[in-house]
Amino acid sequence: MTTTGTATTGTATSTETDRVIGYSRAINEALAEEMRRDERVWMMGQDIGRLGGVFGLTRGLLEEFGPLRVRDTAINETFIVGGAAGAALAGTVPVVELQFADFLFTAADEIFHKLAKWRYMHGGQFTMPVVVRLPSGVVGGAGAEHSQSLETIAMHVAGLKVAVPATPADAKGLLKAAIRDPDPVLFFEHKGLYRVKGPVPESDEHVVPFGSARIARPGADLTVVATGLMVDRAVAAAEQLAPRGIDVEVIDPRTLVPLDIDTIVASVERTHRLLVVHEASRTAGFGAEIAAQVQERAFFALDAPVWRVCGTDTPLPQDPELEQACIPSTDDIVTAALALAAI
Amino acid sequence: MEVYRQVVTIRFAELRIREHVEKEGFGGFWHPGIGQEGLQVGAVSAMQDDDYLYYAHRGLGYAYAKGMALEALFGDLLGRRTGSTGGKGGGTVHFADASRHVLGQGGTLGSSFVMGAGTAAASQLLGDGRVTVVFFGDGASGRGTWHEAALQASVWKLPVVWICENNGWALSARFTEQSPTEHVADRAAAYGMPGVVVDGQDAMAVHDVTSEAIDRARRGEGPTLVEAKTLRIRGHYEGDRQPYRDDPVLGDEIPDDPVHRLGEDIADDVRRGIEAEARTLVEQAFDAALAAPRADRSVIFEDVWA
Ligand SMILES: Cc1ncc(C[n+]2csc(CCOP(=O)(O)OP(=O)(O)O)c2C)c(N)n1
Repeated sequence: MTTTGTATTGTATSTETDRVIGYSRAINEALAEEMRRDERVWMMGQDIGRLGGVFGLTRGLLEEFGPLRVRDTAINETFIVGGAAGAALAGTVPVVELQFADFLFTAADEIFHKLAKWRYMHGGQFTMPVVVRLPSGVVGGAGAEHSQSLETIAMHVAGLKVAVPATPADAKGLLKAAIRDPDPVLFFEHKGLYRVKGPVPESDEHVVPFGSARIARPGADLTVVATGLMVDRAVAAAEQLAPRGIDVEVIDPRTLVPLDIDTIVASVERTHRLLVVHEASRTAGFGAEIAAQVQERAFFALDAPVWRVCGTDTPLPQDPELEQACIPSTDDIVTAALALAAI
Repeated sequence: MEVYRQVVTIRFAELRIREHVEKEGFGGFWHPGIGQEGLQVGAVSAMQDDDYLYYAHRGLGYAYAKGMALEALFGDLLGRRTGSTGGKGGGTVHFADASRHVLGQGGTLGSSFVMGAGTAAASQLLGDGRVTVVFFGDGASGRGTWHEAALQASVWKLPVVWICENNGWALSARFTEQSPTEHVADRAAAYGMPGVVVDGQDAMAVHDVTSEAIDRARRGEGPTLVEAKTLRIRGHYEGDRQPYRDDPVLGDEIPDDPVHRLGEDIADDVRRGIEAEARTLVEQAFDAALAAPRADRSVIFEDVWA
């Protein structure tokens, strides 16, 4: 997605209903608006205060909300997430930032056990309204432990909701929904999208409900399901395929838990072909899950097997060019779609 | 007197559970807290009603002292619908009571270090004047979560008190072989917080030390680490024959029994009256829990999402 329309630098002062602002700015706005709306909302993480976050997402929030609501922590992921769990039990709504989604693993017990299961284990007596913001995906040479797409891992443990916004409007609307959600949400922000701009409704009440997929591009011949950075690449691939007589529909699920499988199935029933595209490694990725669900629900609608175009089953090399070779390119999607359409 | 009543009630509850485990070949794990009731009640009696509690896995003294009903606790142990977790908790490690500010427990040791600090951070933000008390064992003190929680709580001066029940053992591991220092409390200095060692068999001494720590926390002066020295009377779980133990296995002999200590100053007839009442209370609650319906399979889908 690139800048469209006449708005310029994406400041929040624009008065147009759909201003064009950056994905980062959209996230920052969602945080500020929700903190203004609800005094119980607060944030902690490393370098989020004075610095405004390593990617600048929390800039200006310390100044507006003060050091009790925008708290810099030590380098202590187990505290950031586990502390958020404990703070949620005491009636607050913590939104915490891990500097990189990869650090899920340094706080794994806190995420997969405490956030995901506390409510269940204790007979539903507590809610766990925690949002964990997770800068995710490749960004240009951040290396194997700073570049992963781990959303599938989050999907496998019941109790966590999983959001994967692909546009500035969804980044804002889904984050607001996440903060208002009584369940724990892992919010995967794609680092490669932070500087991308797009139209974002001005309204304070721009909330995107979980479990509602977006049709990023309508089409009649083949369905592509893609998330995050892959949505733009899938749409670009669709534009290349259109003149070649293949009308591709691109669906962005926006949240993987809950997953809007109905919209995907309905699309496949119209197009009869499905390609799932994700940046995460191929093996046991969410593409496999979507493929399985679609064949369970729409086997007779399929004219071809469900295919996947995915990241390689390798750690990500640090070199920015090699790193790109490990995730699907627009060309990869075009090639796969052509082959799939020919079956 | 009230402390004595609670400690005696918990002792009878411990004995009733043991009887059940022995007679019925109970399938779950029960980590007996027998002999540690005094320190549990002593510490909790220093808390206010709306202070937050994270208990440890040994016994049920803390939860009862914080006001949870025995029947709900037994119900959890027995997998009954009337348990505080509605039958899903099983065993006792996950009982909870939001109305009593008993926030529950995780199955992974040490998770409550960070959660407790976070709860205290919420109290600090809300200015609700509440203190969070977190119990843990000497074994759990080895977890890295301790370091992260203690460091941040001390820097932020969070209203939290950590109470180590040092019973000398972590399953088969002796504390003396797992710690480079004589006391867990010695580690407090590294975080700029007070570390206090107290005789865990002396309920009133634990009460005093905990009161001081709670007051300090409430005044905004930050966390304290309390270490109550106690003994593990039974095995890691009821039924554990402790083949790893080379010193004499303690049976029913409870050295320096906290119950006796507390009873010393109470007139015989009053004491007997309290004991008789406690025994009845425990028997009735246990019978009621046994008679309550078991949770059926439908509960497994409850409470995944809010
Ligand atoms: C993170 C984690 N590691 C290991 C265990 C298994 N485990 C449960 S209790 C226990 C011993 C705990 O010893 P301590 O903390 O001293 O408490 P005590 O049982 O003596 O009361 C162990 C090893 C666990 N539950 N969680």
